[in-house]
Amino acid sequence: MTPRTRRRAGWAVLLVAALVCGLGAWSYGQARGDRSLSYAKARDTALADGRRHLATLNSLDGENAKRVDDGLRAWLDSSTGPLHDQLERTRKADAKSLTTAGDTARGKVTSAALTALDERTGTAELIATVDVAVTPRTGAPGTQRKRFGATLARTADGWKVKALTAIGTGGGR
Amino acid sequence: MNSTATDAAEVADATDVTDASDPTDATAEKDAPAAPDAPGEPGEPDVSDGVDVSRRRWPRVLGALLAVALIATGGALYAEGRQLRDTPATANLALTDAEATTRVTGDVSSALGKIFSYGPGATAATRAAAKEILAGKALQQYAALFGQVERQSADQKLTLTTEVVRAGVTRLTGSSAHLLVFLDQVYERRGRAPTTASAQLTVVAELREGRWWIVEIGST
Repeated sequence: MTPRTRRRAGWAVLLVAALVCGLGAWSYGQARGDRSLSYAKARDTALADGRRHLATLNSLDGENAKRVDDGLRAWLDSSTGPLHDQLERTRKADAKSLTTAGDTARGKVTSAALTALDERTGTAELIATVDVAVTPRTGAPGTQRKRFGATLARTADGWKVKALTAIGTGGGR
Repeated sequence: MNSTATDAAEVADATDVTDASDPTDATAEKDAPAAPDAPGEPGEPDVSDGVDVSRRRWPRVLGALLAVALIATGGALYAEGRQLRDTPATANLALTDAEATTRVTGDVSSALGKIFSYGPGATAATRAAAKEILAGKALQQYAALFGQVERQSADQKLTLTTEVVRAGVTRLTGSSAHLLVFLDQVYERRGRAPTTASAQLTVVAELREGRWWIVEIGST
């Protein structure tokens, strides 16, 4: 190998290395800038967060005042915007009536789907069926099947429930 | 060497030798700067060769390091991008493909409205519609159920109207879709006030020959 060919080989290696780096950067940039990718991830995150919060909002341990208070705090943590404000307003009255009633409810989301997602404004619409197992202080436990429409909003702490509507018969829309 | 030469010159200056010694002094001074050169000259190729080798080695080492760094960076970026892309999220086209999502939601909603709506004497039309909408397991389930429904409808003069209230796609690929559908069903018996019931179904649909067919219906 003459020094000249060696030098050329060196440059070639460097060029290939630069190309490899460039391709890697391009591929990463493509993935990073892929709108549908970030949209798909936002959708899955919103759905997972929404399911979790909906279960929380349908659960309450009415055993004693402290547990009711914990439950109400969890409701506040799961909500944002108008729903949060409303829950905060009625918190004292809710705590009183729920403690008096003493019923325990455990919500489980059986199925959920997003019907809309706006990544730009950070809002999503969710529909879900929830089985609520209610154990009254007196009387036999039972399960209620409920269906909900929820509006989710993106917060610094993940997606939270902004509005929640029970979709009853007839008045669903 | 240089310092000793200047020292010598200084010494020569300090001794303040006579003019006669000047020429020697001059020569000494002339020689002095030359002195380091003289022994250096034969050694020069040696020294400059050493510089040359290190000068030639440095770019090579730098180049190799740069190449390794570039390749490593490229590889890392590629892997990172791959990881970003390779998630279950991307395989699911629900909402990301807005057009397909709207279409399957609309098709399945209107299909469910058709197959779960009937009146006495009009069950044949519903049954015929079902054959155009349902396939596989869903068709079998429906056929088993509908025999009962037909008798009931005829006996009790029962009319059922089903309307989809909400529908969402949970999972969508190029050829299959999973949906959650909320229905309102109005039962009307002749001579009685209509009653409304709510139902919620999970539906699996498949795209065959450009049409969405319902292949599975389940309750949530």
